[in-house]
Amino acid sequence: MPTLDFTIKQMSKLVGRELSIEELESDLQWIALDIEAIDEKDGVIKVEYQPNRPDYSSPEGIARALKGYYELEMGLAQFEVRENSDLICLVDNKVKKIRPYIVMCAIKDIHMDEEQVATLMNIQEALHHALGRGRQKVAIGVHDFDKVNPPYQYTTVKPNAIKFRPLQMEKLELTPQEILEEHPKGIEYAHIVNQFEEYPIIFDRDNNVISFPPIINGILTTVTDKTRNILLDLTGTDLRLVTYSMNILVTTFADMGGKIESAKVVSFDGTEKCYPDLTPEKWTIKKSYINSYIGLELTSEEMIHCLKKCRMDAFPGKKKGTLEVFVPAYRSDFIHEVDFTEEVATGYNYKQIEPVLYEGGSIGSYHPIFKLQDKVKQIMVGAGYLETFNFMLTARETYKTLKIPFDEKHNVIIDNPVSKEYNTTRTMLMPVLMRLLQFNRSEEKPIKIFEVGDVIIFDASSETGATQKLHVCALTHHSSAEFTEIRSLLDFLTQTLGIWNDLEVKPSDNPTFISGRTGEIWIKNSRVGIIGEIHPEVLENFGLRFPVAIFELDLSLVLPEKDQQLE
Amino acid sequence: MTQLRIKEISLHVLKELRKFNKPIEARDLSKKTGLEYEVLMTQAIHELQTLESPLVDFKEKEVTELIPTEELKDYVKNGLPERQLVNFLVDNQFDEISIEEFQTLMEMDKSFFFIGLTNAKRNRWIMQSNATDSPTIYLNNQEAPLSNLEKLIEKFKRETVTVEELPKELKDEVNQLLKRKLVTKKTYTNRTIILTELGKKIDLDSFMVIGEEIPRLTAEMLSDGSWRENIHKLKKFEVQNAGPRLCAGKLHPMTVLINKAREVFLSMGFTEIKGPIVESAFYNFDALFQPQDHPAREMHDTFYLKHPAKAKLPSKKIVNAVKKTHEGGGNSKSLGWGGKWSSEIAKRVLLRTHTTATTIRRLSKIAQNKESLPVKVFSLDRVFRNESVDATHLAEFMQIEGIVVGKNLNLSHLKGYLTEFYKKMGFEKLIMHPDFFPYTEPSLGVTVYVETLGKWHEMGGSGIFRPEVTYPLGIKEPIRVLAWGMGFERLAMLSLQRNDIRDLYRSPLKWLKEIPYN
Repeated sequence: MPTLDFTIKQMSKLVGRELSIEELESDLQWIALDIEAIDEKDGVIKVEYQPNRPDYSSPEGIARALKGYYELEMGLAQFEVRENSDLICLVDNKVKKIRPYIVMCAIKDIHMDEEQVATLMNIQEALHHALGRGRQKVAIGVHDFDKVNPPYQYTTVKPNAIKFRPLQMEKLELTPQEILEEHPKGIEYAHIVNQFEEYPIIFDRDNNVISFPPIINGILTTVTDKTRNILLDLTGTDLRLVTYSMNILVTTFADMGGKIESAKVVSFDGTEKCYPDLTPEKWTIKKSYINSYIGLELTSEEMIHCLKKCRMDAFPGKKKGTLEVFVPAYRSDFIHEVDFTEEVATGYNYKQIEPVLYEGGSIGSYHPIFKLQDKVKQIMVGAGYLETFNFMLTARETYKTLKIPFDEKHNVIIDNPVSKEYNTTRTMLMPVLMRLLQFNRSEEKPIKIFEVGDVIIFDASSETGATQKLHVCALTHHSSAEFTEIRSLLDFLTQTLGIWNDLEVKPSDNPTFISGRTGEIWIKNSRVGIIGEIHPEVLENFGLRFPVAIFELDLSLVLPEKDQQLE
Repeated sequence: MTQLRIKEISLHVLKELRKFNKPIEARDLSKKTGLEYEVLMTQAIHELQTLESPLVDFKEKEVTELIPTEELKDYVKNGLPERQLVNFLVDNQFDEISIEEFQTLMEMDKSFFFIGLTNAKRNRWIMQSNATDSPTIYLNNQEAPLSNLEKLIEKFKRETVTVEELPKELKDEVNQLLKRKLVTKKTYTNRTIILTELGKKIDLDSFMVIGEEIPRLTAEMLSDGSWRENIHKLKKFEVQNAGPRLCAGKLHPMTVLINKAREVFLSMGFTEIKGPIVESAFYNFDALFQPQDHPAREMHDTFYLKHPAKAKLPSKKIVNAVKKTHEGGGNSKSLGWGGKWSSEIAKRVLLRTHTTATTIRRLSKIAQNKESLPVKVFSLDRVFRNESVDATHLAEFMQIEGIVVGKNLNLSHLKGYLTEFYKKMGFEKLIMHPDFFPYTEPSLGVTVYVETLGKWHEMGGSGIFRPEVTYPLGIKEPIRVLAWGMGFERLAMLSLQRNDIRDLYRSPLKWLKEIPYN
């Protein structure tokens, strides 16, 4: 989850009253901020915010919410947007299929200190990541306004048609193509544009390169500590997210003291629109709906008060029992009326909401498969075996170590494993139990362990292509471990489960086991398991110095079909 | 008081000590008891002295013994040369005698004669007159008193003489003996053995003598009744000592904790559900209104399968409803995510990333089967995340999830369930604060106070399922679904005291055997 650092001093200044670390430590959680770390010495608080609140990516954004929480300032925050008829961005038809949307605007008279520059970088990164999906949907360019002249032109160029000096490689004049191949940002983001025949570009009036979105800006508009006027460009593939990102940026600049001047975007289809458009979004919500969701009976006034604390404006609606709510332009996490329950609950304060016991009677029960699992665990523990708890992920290599054939067609294969150790799921418990034994091989003997758990079997006929089965596997490992010992355990288990009369062990041959000391376990004409003494070659493979006798049994036969149903 | 068990030899020594009834030097005791000094000290005395209530004690002293030479032994019998000279004069009533004549009559070695003469003069027993050419000797006093040196020599008539026990005036004479080479010195440690108060009064018949004891109660003793006379001879165990470690069966502590949580759910009227681990993206993501381009769906978070690669989707009705909800809100009155929803992406097969996939499967049956409400279910099962495994991260773990489906359920009810659930799990104090999850609205995060650590711990999430999730499944207003869950390992790590989370799954056996259940 994204994080943000701010100092207590900075926050006190923004909120407009003295705050203490202790105060924020207990209050921030009620506006959905999670404290990650506190540096008491330097008075720095690191908070974690939720991805649906990118407006929390700046101290200014958090201060806005806190002012509401402390009722220092309620309702919509006010931002002035001046129109500047000179600021025009002309959009070429050619961008339509490549990167169709652009919005621009200017921020005037801004004097950013070090903290504010850091804030700007943090927001930019947060927006690129959370809303921009790695600059795919939204990319942001910040420029020195005074270095270029409007009207600006958003168009595309052939990969090698122009040359300009990009940021971070100021000394070289490169073509867009060369930037994608050589520039670090070019290499990182090439995948967004390199499938197109032309690349997006922003020129000024005199065809100076302002930016090659979403990759890199030209050096011409580099922002320095002397920059007083800023030009913003945001391009992307989702207009809603592009304008939303711009709103978050400009409102933060405005809170830093900058003056917003809008720019007119003249689209290839002839439409014109000025950005930013900070008109609040209007929603109509039903009071009873919200109340019933939270378990409150708030009056209109009370609910309006709650919403104002969350920096929204609200008024009684035209229709009885409704409210008209105006959502600030820097928030766009509303897609359903239900989203207002959280706002009202936050304004009311979550901690004030009483826990109520729901009077819905019902009778509980365990799932039959888990009941069987519990029963088998009890039997095995009674027989003196230690329960183990293993991963379901395992390695194909382990099957080889056990001399059990691994058939790609009948196993689950993970497409994107992190490591070779976990590239498949277990089809039997034996590999994971043997691995566990290997890990514990220097422990005191005798070692008698078992696991009861699910294995996953490929099954083309099932809905998701695989089925789960409950297996039990047990092994004994000590200087005189042998077949008879584990056979006795199998008898005890099957007897207690009431299936011993149907049990038959048929001699078999198998490279995992010693010939003449292994067999297949059959119950009522079905092969349900295997039992035997592990072959010394396999013991050597696992680095074991004492014999191992082991059995594995599929328990699904014990349960009637209807009890094996999964959801 | 329990019967004391001592060795036979110790009892023998104790009896001798009681007979003697005074402090006694170890060497003397050795003679009295007929035991070798070493055996006496290292076996009997050691045992008697190291009993929990000791019966004897001993004092150690450095002593210097004076060993008489043969010459001294002769003097002890016959007197010193000076005494022999004086006695001769007295016995023969010589008033005065010349030295020459004296020497001839004495028939004594010349050098001894002169030593005796010198010392007799120094003791003022005799006088010498040099008035004539040949000096003469005469008795000074008829009764020559015993000299200190003689008093010292007297002592050698007894067994041994040690410097330490001599009176002051005799100690000064020791040098005289040494100078005259009449003794040699030998230094050693003297141990005086004494009975303690208990040793003085303890009943000598009350002891159990080791060697007579019987190692175990046998079947023969029970069948022939001989246990009656032998019961007191049964070997006594060091009951305070731990026994050797048992090779026993035991449930894994994770199972014990899991069963505790299951029991809590059962006690609250919940039914356990189980669903597929190999799951479709449809149930894992799409049905939860997770946008198809959401980062959580990407390869680096989720294990996708190469084989099997494609799942079947459920009924057209549900699939279409989900599709419409994603694209434009469907009948849920939501705006939806916009864009096109792809059934191909929904068919991808993965290892479920949460048990909520199973919950959705269960929810999809409620409307279909027209079940009566409330429906309360829970699951506690395996989920997977594509993470590198290390001391603090696992690629698979257990997730707890509880769901209530009912009419007009609200945030207060959710807080009610959470309070009850966590209380039963052992957490009395909790904070339920606003949180965000893509498929719940509103959402609550739960932080609990862990008494044993004196710290707050982020435990899990919860919320009310969004209409965009429930409407496509046919669950509509005023029916709502409360849900809460948490990663189980978090809970386990709090109570199982391991630093490495992997240990929960590789089960160091020593730890398994020793870990208490709580």
